[in-house]
Amino acid sequence: MARYYLVFSKNGYAVYTSHLDMQRFFKRAFARAEIELAFSNGFNPHPKMSFAQPLSLGYSSQSEYLEFQTKEQMPAEQIKSRLAEVMPEGIGILRCVQLPDNGKSLAAMCVAASYRIFIRWDEDEMGCRADKFDMRGFLDQKEILVLKRMKKKKEPKEIDIKSKIREIEWAAQDNIIIMSTKLDAGSDSNLSPDLLIQAIGRYTGAVIPPENVEISRVDMELDGLNQ
Amino acid sequence: MSTIHIESLLKKVEKPGRYIGGEFNEIRKDHAAAGTTFAFAFPDLYEIGMSYMGMQILYNIINHEESLLCERVFAPAVDMEKLMREEGVPLFALESKTPVREFDVLGFTLQYEMSFTNMLNMLDLAGIPLHADERGADAPLIIAGGPCAYDPEPLADFVDVFLIGDGEESLPAFLKLYGEYKAAGKSRKAFLQEAVKIQGVYVPRFYEPVYNEDGTLKEVRKLYDGAPDRVRKAMVQELDLAEYPVKPLVPMIEIVQDRAVVELFRGCTRGCRFCQAGMIYRPVRERSPEKIFAIADQVTKNTGQDEMTLLSLSTSDYSHFEEMATDLIDLCTERHVGLSLPSLRLDSFSFKVLNEIQKYRKSGLTFAPEAGTQRLRNVINKNITEENIFSSVRQAIELGWKHIKFYFMMGLPGETLEDLDGIADIAQRVMQLNREMHVAGSSRFNVTVSVSNFVPKAHTPFQWAPQDADFTEKHDYLSAKMKIKGVSFHYHDDPVSRLEAVFARGDRRTGYFLEQAWKNGCKFDSWSENYSAEGWQKAEDAFREKYGYGTDFYRTRERSYEEVLPWDIVDCGVSKAFLMREMEKAKEAVTTDDCRIRCNGCGVNTWAKCPLEGIHG
Ligand code: SF4
Repeated sequence: MARYYLVFSKNGYAVYTSHLDMQRFFKRAFARAEIELAFSNGFNPHPKMSFAQPLSLGYSSQSEYLEFQTKEQMPAEQIKSRLAEVMPEGIGILRCVQLPDNGKSLAAMCVAASYRIFIRWDEDEMGCRADKFDMRGFLDQKEILVLKRMKKKKEPKEIDIKSKIREIEWAAQDNIIIMSTKLDAGSDSNLSPDLLIQAIGRYTGAVIPPENVEISRVDMELDGLNQ
Repeated sequence: MSTIHIESLLKKVEKPGRYIGGEFNEIRKDHAAAGTTFAFAFPDLYEIGMSYMGMQILYNIINHEESLLCERVFAPAVDMEKLMREEGVPLFALESKTPVREFDVLGFTLQYEMSFTNMLNMLDLAGIPLHADERGADAPLIIAGGPCAYDPEPLADFVDVFLIGDGEESLPAFLKLYGEYKAAGKSRKAFLQEAVKIQGVYVPRFYEPVYNEDGTLKEVRKLYDGAPDRVRKAMVQELDLAEYPVKPLVPMIEIVQDRAVVELFRGCTRGCRFCQAGMIYRPVRERSPEKIFAIADQVTKNTGQDEMTLLSLSTSDYSHFEEMATDLIDLCTERHVGLSLPSLRLDSFSFKVLNEIQKYRKSGLTFAPEAGTQRLRNVINKNITEENIFSSVRQAIELGWKHIKFYFMMGLPGETLEDLDGIADIAQRVMQLNREMHVAGSSRFNVTVSVSNFVPKAHTPFQWAPQDADFTEKHDYLSAKMKIKGVSFHYHDDPVSRLEAVFARGDRRTGYFLEQAWKNGCKFDSWSENYSAEGWQKAEDAFREKYGYGTDFYRTRERSYEEVLPWDIVDCGVSKAFLMREMEKAKEAVTTDDCRIRCNGCGVNTWAKCPLEGIHG
């Protein structure tokens, strides 16, 4: 057995493939590439393969992490090139690196993720031009509140996301706001960019519709991983 | 060629993965370089259409022709359609996002009658006039095929050309001819006059039905002398020579049948009298075991799918079944691929095989006696005896199966309450048998009984028979009898079965009924949440208003042997005399042998090779 991680990108129409679909997709891709994955034991064996962080439907990404175990040891470069040959349009294989056999899972190492976000700014709805939006004021609020649907519970809960925003930079251009931001992304603390968008909308008293937003994950920070 | 921008729509719909294409093994070609561009439409959702092998077969063959291009299109779900209409986005093909109205030819595959409204809806969404006679040369040529094209008349006003039978040879030939005529700047009319020479091509506008006062057909007048008197189906004689897609598209989203599919054979030798597939796909043509193995090998390699299933009307009838199954099990075990063998006859070998492939998880076992008594099974020529059923059930219980499914039909010709009692009786006795056998875990054992409503189909011995008018009463009757512990009972709603019966044997006038229903918003009719009883009722009223009789005329009326039938224009290869003989035997509850025992003179071997006739005689 040998353990690896893979970094891949997801662009174009492929962004409309859900997290669950991506799992099935990679399982098949490994089979096509004739890379035999190690399987768990039990009545319903499943391949040892998992993503560091799920990616929401509709987001593109330049940096998705997938860890997996193969039955046989093989050069990481070979895995990379074999997989690259069986990818459909929109999914790119960027790197493959071998991992020590025993170690924390990538999901456990993951602490933060960086995103690039484009918001098409609807002047009438938002009450101001994109370049007049008071981002500073927004960030300097004592609390940045959003409604979050908690698992299982039906009623969304109000939470403060301020401490989860690690970095943020922005610029406005022709009624588009472009942001680069780093947000908590891990099991201890996690913030979906959707909630940040919701908070910005809320600050202006408007709702930003999803079709006006484009989000791309550009990087992921994995604590203790030799990236 | 133009490309449509759909990104803003995709963000707003429930399942955007239905509209994006880009699957592994997708084929993309240049529109400008293609002699004929063909949009292949499945009038239902992506998940359903992509589960249908016929589309993958033809997609592959057409795209491998240098001068041809094929892209796919499916019916958008209700949420997507709404947005498309609001934003003026026309129906587009998945590969290039080109509007389908810009293709040369748009072809629909007609797998079931309840997709007809979707077909009209798709034409409308594409911005293409519904009626063939309203379309100019700038609109795509609308063609259609599939089992429902064996009675093409309900759609004859909307479709320019039907391609009847196997499409592997006829469709590319047709499309190439189209390209030649287009390149030469010749008219559509000239093209159609030439196209009728291709076997399987039916051009409705070359024929005009003449009706009697009572609404029955008097005759069909030919309007172009060169058109054939009857259109003989196209048929691929040697399946081994037909190209099979060993690099099928692998969907990114989950579809209904999400697995590798290997077609074993076409046709069936059993001759069940209700079964249209068993008649229209004659003669049986088998793939060789070597070819089947090679396909299984390549398909699993090229898709990475971890499940595989075999396609045919009756798996265990395959001549080299044991050899084939053994080889495939080995291949699948080696590759960690789950193999499923549908429609098995449960003999000792099948049990051995099933025990092998379902080692850990025994899924349900399925029996399809179709009728509850031996007498009625003889009527329909379903040659399975109670003894067959019970000895198999006994074995299944012994081997540890805990779930058994039974399929029956209701409303078969000559059915009485006794036959319904027979269904309950079988379920009851299976449960009883399980109790008596005392195997481990016997309390978990359960039985599902599913009853569908019989729909008489064109080109079968029952094509003259009325559809039962009392489904509801019979459902109630049987429901009361089926309150048996451990048995769950399902039946189909009857409104849909009634509509199927109208379109399965409709004439050209039923196209008006269909169009009215579509205008009233009917679509996705087989989904109960979409079914509009009101829309169909209004269509019924409009039909009665126009023609002076209701659609029960097509459904519950018994036809005489002398009557000119709307689908007589189609020659499916089986003679009417044979169908009549079978109908007469049904009335006497007399069975007909399997064609492997002896030839029953259906007529197919007068024009084609029937390789299995009498091989076990
Ligand atoms: S030709 Fe004879 S053997 Fe062949 S399908 Fe017809 S009846 Fe059966």
